[in-house]
Amino acid sequence: MIRDRSKDIGEYRPASDDDMLICRCEEVTKGEIRRAIHDGMYTLTEIRRYLRVGMGLCQGQTCTRLVKAIIASELGTSPAETKPATARAPMRPVEMKVMAKDTGGSKDE
Amino acid sequence: MNNRADVVIVGAGAIGCSAAYYLAKQKINVIVLEGSDNIGNGGSSRNGGGVRQSGRDPRELPIAMYGIKHIWPNLKEELGMDVEYYQQGNLRLGKSEANLKVLEGLTSRAVACGLDVRMISGKEAREICPYLSDVVMGASWCPTDGHANPLLTTLAFYRKARQLGARFITGEKVKEIRKIKGQARQVVTENNVYEGDKIIIAAGMDSRAILNTVGIDVPMSPVLLETLVTEAVEPMFYQMLGTADADFYGHQSTHGSFVFGITSGFEPFAKAGEPVSSSHAVSLASTGILSYFPVLENLKVVRSWAGWIDDCADHVPVISTVEEVPGLVVACGFSGHGFGISPAAGMLVSELAAGTETTVDISALGYHRFRR
Amino acid sequence: MKRYDLIVIGAGPAGLSAAIEAGQQGLKVIVFDENAKPGGQLFKQIHKFFGSKEHKAKIRGFRIGEELLKAAAEAGVEVVLNAVVIGLYLEKEITVRMDEKVYHYKADTIIIATGATENMIAFEGWTLPGVIGAGAAQTMMNLHGVMPGQRIFMLGSGNVGLVVSYQLLQAGCEVAAICDAAPRIGGYGVHAAKVARYGVPFYTRHSIIKAEGTDRVTGVTIGEVGPNWKFVPGTEKHFDVDTICLAVGLSPMSQLAQMAGCAMEDNPKKAGLVPTIDEYGETSVPGIFAAGDVSGIEEASAAMIEGRIAGAAAAYRLGYITLESLEEKTAAMKKALSSLRRGMFAPENRGKRIEKTEEGCDISINLLEKGYVAADEITRYPGVTAKKGIHPVVECTQNIPCNPCQDVCPKQCIKIGEDITALPRVEEFVECTGCGLCVAACPGQAIFLVNSGETPGSAYVTLPYEFLPIPKAGDKGYACDRSGHAVCETEVVTVKSISAYDKTNLVTIKVPVELADAARAYRREVKA
Repeated sequence: MIRDRSKDIGEYRPASDDDMLICRCEEVTKGEIRRAIHDGMYTLTEIRRYLRVGMGLCQGQTCTRLVKAIIASELGTSPAETKPATARAPMRPVEMKVMAKDTGGSKDE
Repeated sequence: MNNRADVVIVGAGAIGCSAAYYLAKQKINVIVLEGSDNIGNGGSSRNGGGVRQSGRDPRELPIAMYGIKHIWPNLKEELGMDVEYYQQGNLRLGKSEANLKVLEGLTSRAVACGLDVRMISGKEAREICPYLSDVVMGASWCPTDGHANPLLTTLAFYRKARQLGARFITGEKVKEIRKIKGQARQVVTENNVYEGDKIIIAAGMDSRAILNTVGIDVPMSPVLLETLVTEAVEPMFYQMLGTADADFYGHQSTHGSFVFGITSGFEPFAKAGEPVSSSHAVSLASTGILSYFPVLENLKVVRSWAGWIDDCADHVPVISTVEEVPGLVVACGFSGHGFGISPAAGMLVSELAAGTETTVDISALGYHRFRR
Repeated sequence: MKRYDLIVIGAGPAGLSAAIEAGQQGLKVIVFDENAKPGGQLFKQIHKFFGSKEHKAKIRGFRIGEELLKAAAEAGVEVVLNAVVIGLYLEKEITVRMDEKVYHYKADTIIIATGATENMIAFEGWTLPGVIGAGAAQTMMNLHGVMPGQRIFMLGSGNVGLVVSYQLLQAGCEVAAICDAAPRIGGYGVHAAKVARYGVPFYTRHSIIKAEGTDRVTGVTIGEVGPNWKFVPGTEKHFDVDTICLAVGLSPMSQLAQMAGCAMEDNPKKAGLVPTIDEYGETSVPGIFAAGDVSGIEEASAAMIEGRIAGAAAAYRLGYITLESLEEKTAAMKKALSSLRRGMFAPENRGKRIEKTEEGCDISINLLEKGYVAADEITRYPGVTAKKGIHPVVECTQNIPCNPCQDVCPKQCIKIGEDITALPRVEEFVECTGCGLCVAACPGQAIFLVNSGETPGSAYVTLPYEFLPIPKAGDKGYACDRSGHAVCETEVVTVKSISAYDKTNLVTIKVPVELADAARAYRREVKA
């Protein structure tokens, strides 16, 4: 989708719920996300890279939907227009010592 | 909207965004076209974050040294955003005699270029970074090296350039560059045509096909790059790390997570298309990392990702104008070590586009080197 | 590296059904699930399922889980638990975390059946301890035997919110209220009626303004949602509660499909990001299938059929069955699936305002807004008749795909007909024996036996009852109407608990004859 990042989305205006936590893993507030959007971060991926939203232990399982709604509301688009961030392995956090115990084969081989 | 600018930049990665910033700062009108939906979507968001001089080819070393001396230390103030730059040295670790030989070779070459880098013992390395295990026999140590957050650095340049009036358009896939009356002037995308007095191609691996449309070919090939990141823990150390075996490299970020680059050995043979992580890479990296840092064994890996390195035939970038195609500025082929030099490279590219003399002599990185 | 014909990721209703179908055709199948117990969400579903026989209607969810496990074992399927699939790579290779190690497996076909995850909603205080997902509450109660709290507030009136509210009551919790930002209750009316008649109030057009408390939830304030989704000042209502349950929908857990390079779509009708699939559940990557909630949120009954279809398609792909056999097998399954997707709650009707039933009866506005059908509305429906003598009163007022009442009636007194979503009709001239099978079979607990002819001035009302302690004949209590208000004191006349009722007790109470059409719940105590 072609997107001009110079599009006028208006000034960032503080709101009463700006200090509400949205990403619990990385402790990012709604206000920080709104400000990031006004700083030009228009996509879920950019906001993740900018604020670490959804990059913690739950990998965005909880907050992605909430962040999409905030983006849609600030940009005046629909949440479905916001593309998902890429899914990355491991699907669940795994300790390095477990990762290191990988023979490349299956169990009982 | 007007699709004309003084300079059109193709590619909104670390290089494109930094070039846009330096141009916009001089009130030069810029349009930046990004093929993907996200700013900094290529190698700029898929690297270990090293800001190194040690281990570099003498041809690009001056750029790295210039950046570390003059740009990186002030970048936070300049861009109004913390890019998490740390200048706490680079340790390149060795755990065998053969490793130490490799490191000694790299070190003597860098010293010849005037860089402060030296060999240290395993004990000295452990004094710098107490978490290292006893397998480390020695290391090369460059105290002026460091690391920064590549995601934030790229976005900080973007943010600042945008504030200064640079126009960024994402989702604009460039099909072709067109010459008008002998000058590269038009950038043709699927839906639009943009026009600039100068055109900068900084599109990573995609640069090759784009440059081909004006009869220019930079010999480079895609090499897979894989990275992993862990959960955040208390700050432990801020050195940039690498190994003589090249089994991993990386650092701990301000946030507390560790970012490690992975080497699986099959990088040049990855399948074309979207870069995809390989099934063994994180395991291999974890094995490697734990042999040097057993203390990290309970750290959880939360994510891994892959990207393309635009590996140039001689492993250094092309930062150059092109005699046959006036108006064109090429900045590609950074070969997997572009991030650390990206602020300086962006500045140099902006100078090439503005037609001013370059701050650093980059004649060795010219496109003509492939035309002999 | 071991190679299987089929790897199934997720041992829930879809995954197990897929594995069974494929295993029965001779495929070498392995199922991985990250949980310690198989069955996905089935084992916390203690309620009876809707649908028809082929959808396992009137069977409680956990029993369906037991049946599936047994069938999987019989089909030679390997089910591996505590096995987290952490990656899905090219060439259909997966990495699995098991006993502190990482293993690799490959298969010629893969069925992703990873299910869904609960949505959250942000409001002031939403991160306080005591704010939990409704699914989490269900896990605490039904798997671990732990009460999530004493007094609960439920946000969300979809089927999950309604079913969990009822189960909270069963667990002995108090449900302070259920609210929903939408103007109408989202789930089945019969589920709403089940909680309304035990006195749980509904607040439609309301949402949570804030969760109160410093270290944990001590209360909640809700408010009316006006136009533009803004709270209307002055409409705040406070409840003292120790737990807030969020039942605001599910999202497909489709990350593995995305990782495998499957084409994805963000489809609000499927409740989120899902792989695009064909009629057999195959994604854009040949040989990789998706079934169940991961390909779009639906009921478990739909997930089981989708699983079987995908399992059969995998069998065809690998040459274990012919195309004719695949088509023949799946024709009935597809028909069963499409019958589940019919009626007022069909996926295509999401968000639509439906005013009349298929029969042309007006939908009860009270039901949609307050959770119960008003006394003057109930007589519109074909299941509610004023027959003499004992007879069923079927308070089923919305077109949902469900017909156990018709199936169990030995006298064919209740008729739905071929169209599974039609409202049940009580036949005027067919005699009811009062066996009570329909009362126990109705997954919506919407059937009552009314007998107003025997004793002058009195009537006997037989109700489905699933609370503890089970009343005894002679117990004294209160009869409540559909809204949960006590209408009179009453006495329990008989309590029947036969195995055919499957733990739904039939409690018969005696009420004044004029209350025969009002008394729809029995409670030992009511609050003043």
